Amino acid sequence: MDCSVALRRSSLGDARALDSTVRLDRPNDLPAAAAALTLQQSMALATVVATDETASADGDLKVRYVFEPTAPADDRFVTLLVSVDAARPEVPSLTIAIPAANWHEREMRDLFGIVPVGHPDPRPLVVHDGWPAGTFPLRKAFDGSRRVPVHPAQEFPHLVVEGEGVFEIPVGPIHAGIIEPGHFRFSSVGESVLHLDARLFYTHRGLEKRMEGLSPLDAFYVAERICGVCSVAHGLGYCEALEQIAGAAVPPRARLIRSIALELERLYNHVGDVGNVCAGAAFHYGTATGSRLKERLQQANERLAGNRFLRELVIPGGVRLDLSTDVLTPLEVTLREVLSEFDELMGRIEANPSVVDRLDETGVLSHQAALDLAVTGVAARASGIDRDARRDHPHAAFTLANPPRLQVATAAEGDAMARVSVRALEARESVRLIREFIRRLEPGSLRGNLPEPVPGGRIGIAAIESPRGEAVHWLRTDRDGRVERYHLRSPSYHNWPAVALAAETAIIPDFPLVNKSFELCYSCTDR
Amino acid sequence: MTAKGLPVWLMLAEMALLVVAGPLITGVIQKVKARLQSREGAGVLQPYRDLAKLFRKGTVQSDSASGFFRAVPVLVLAATTAAAALVPVLRAGPPAFPLGDALMLLGLLALARFLTAVGALDAGGAFGGMGASREMMVAPLIEPVLMMVVFSSAIFAGTTELRALAAYRGAWTSWIVAWRAADFLGFAAMLVLLPAETGRIPVDNPDTHLELTMLHEGMLLEHSGPGLGCMLLASHTRQIVTLGLVSALFFPVGHTGATGGIGLLAGAGAFALEISLLALFLALVESSYAKLRLFRVPPYLGVGFACALTALALRIL
Repeated sequence: MDCSVALRRSSLGDARALDSTVRLDRPNDLPAAAAALTLQQSMALATVVATDETASADGDLKVRYVFEPTAPADDRFVTLLVSVDAARPEVPSLTIAIPAANWHEREMRDLFGIVPVGHPDPRPLVVHDGWPAGTFPLRKAFDGSRRVPVHPAQEFPHLVVEGEGVFEIPVGPIHAGIIEPGHFRFSSVGESVLHLDARLFYTHRGLEKRMEGLSPLDAFYVAERICGVCSVAHGLGYCEALEQIAGAAVPPRARLIRSIALELERLYNHVGDVGNVCAGAAFHYGTATGSRLKERLQQANERLAGNRFLRELVIPGGVRLDLSTDVLTPLEVTLREVLSEFDELMGRIEANPSVVDRLDETGVLSHQAALDLAVTGVAARASGIDRDARRDHPHAAFTLANPPRLQVATAAEGDAMARVSVRALEARESVRLIREFIRRLEPGSLRGNLPEPVPGGRIGIAAIESPRGEAVHWLRTDRDGRVERYHLRSPSYHNWPAVALAAETAIIPDFPLVNKSFELCYSCTDR
Repeated sequence: MTAKGLPVWLMLAEMALLVVAGPLITGVIQKVKARLQSREGAGVLQPYRDLAKLFRKGTVQSDSASGFFRAVPVLVLAATTAAAALVPVLRAGPPAFPLGDALMLLGLLALARFLTAVGALDAGGAFGGMGASREMMVAPLIEPVLMMVVFSSAIFAGTTELRALAAYRGAWTSWIVAWRAADFLGFAAMLVLLPAETGRIPVDNPDTHLELTMLHEGMLLEHSGPGLGCMLLASHTRQIVTLGLVSALFFPVGHTGATGGIGLLAGAGAFALEISLLALFLALVESSYAKLRLFRVPPYLGVGFACALTALALRIL
């Protein structure tokens, strides 16, 4: 298997001309093909999507490994398609060569029963204790409306560090704060973290299963609600994937309004997250200011779209509401005031040695580790990876004929301070972009035509830069134009393993700070 | 100053006053902090409401806790309350029947701290053990320095009995203009130690829900209902006792006033003012700084140690 095989393109349902799919004759060709893409073309794993096509003519399970270039502004997806025998569902594992494939392969084993042969971690990821063995919820034969009996279970085998003076500290899944559930098992000596085993998927709701068979317009509401604070990004990602399939053109005004919504979402998240980092360092002024500014922005969202999370502003084909001057003028006032207060907050953080001392060199994520785990978003940029889906996979207003120029902020240190600084720069850039988008708003229609039903048997892939990084949406319609399979690889999905890695450079009482400097979603990850 | 010394009933009344006023100081600090963060904040009486709520509740106890665990809150509260009896509030002067001196006071506070830590270990929770181990890391850095500050005043007054010490000091002078270098250094050491001894930023964070970062709060996690109420009341009392110690050592202005009802009222007013100013100081520090990284706490407390040691040396030389 050489590079030329990987370049032999064929059309296997890709809705965009830029994307290509390579069908591998045998599953065993996969490691060589993946190595060709990652090593020779320096591509990164974007997502892995398994599908159950036992009912189709092929009668098999399929796994698609989607890769993307790491070079800036190279908007392509290359998919390696592997057919898996339903009677003996096995594929060679890529995890040793491509660590980013780790969770994807474990998820595939849990939800489809496709075994990644040679995977170093035999433990389940998505399904939890008591889930009956041999029940694979994303197989088409599994009835999602049926209750599954809970079987007696053993305690989950956490990775245990042995030795004199090693302590295990279990934290969660129920936490004292109002946050989402996750279990963290620390092994420590004194205050130093030796290992962190994070167990998530407590909020796995089977949303991807739920969307199957729905009309694409109904499934949109599920996609948008996968997570609260990424509503715009996830709604938009689903819409763009659907619009690729339908071949729908979104009018320029709608694209600008979509981008305004996306940047408003980024802004309230980044401002609130800087405040949250202050909570991790017990800097009360920062915590209070961050939440106050976030609240102002969310109230502005409500005035704009009738919803604090800007839900249903973006809809398939365009946008639901127009942004008229009488809502944009107050928005500009809010942005100006919030920006000046945010600058003051950042000034106080940067000028306060007690805060800077907590953030500096805390929770370091090395550049190489970030590359290996295909980390994305703020965490990646703070570790020196110049990637931003707004530039690299243009969407919304960035697909206009004359796209706005985006300043991608990066830092080299990879510590909590770098992540805070990158966030602050991005928040300011978001304000600048919103103002530019508002200036460029021209009268025009708000919705493009979406054919009903949408074309069947096609695949749309959209990558959206959400507040937490690049989210990859993968959508395929069935013969009748309904959702056959939808998969979201959220940014948090690739970033969680990086948190565990960064925590190992910190001491136990600094973990909340490390965690908050990444500020990841649980529900996006769990789905 | 009466010839036969302060009556015991007055000292017991002062003890009761401190225990009753303790939660109020916490409430005031919380309110000032909230205003500094441009929040409205809860009323200053909120700590009383919290205590009333807790004492009405039932107790939930870890299966792995022994019977001793249940006794811990009562013992901690008893030790702290006993310490409150040793702080001059309304009047200074040699007591008719000495209940104990400053060393006894620090010893009782250390006992309360020890019992709290042992109770946290007894419950068997991970956070309790973590909190206890950190508290025991910090405590040996605070307690000796507090003693040195006390000694630097005691050497000069010739007594470690706080009421007598305050009276001597008041008779000499208690105004800052007459302070010697040793007073300034001792007071500086006290200001460094205050946040540590009261479990506040930059050493600990009383407002956090982040278990992994906790010191004192971590040890309280396994307590509930009236037990937790006792522990919280003990924390409030410990705080006001520590502030009272600062007042007695450095600003015994009010304690030397006239005898009789007016003198007592003047003493109470001066004490309240001093305590409020110190509480304001704590609230300001807590709003201006982040918590120190755990391993930066010893160097921070080292500053207090250096000040206290110099103060003591200056007194002896």
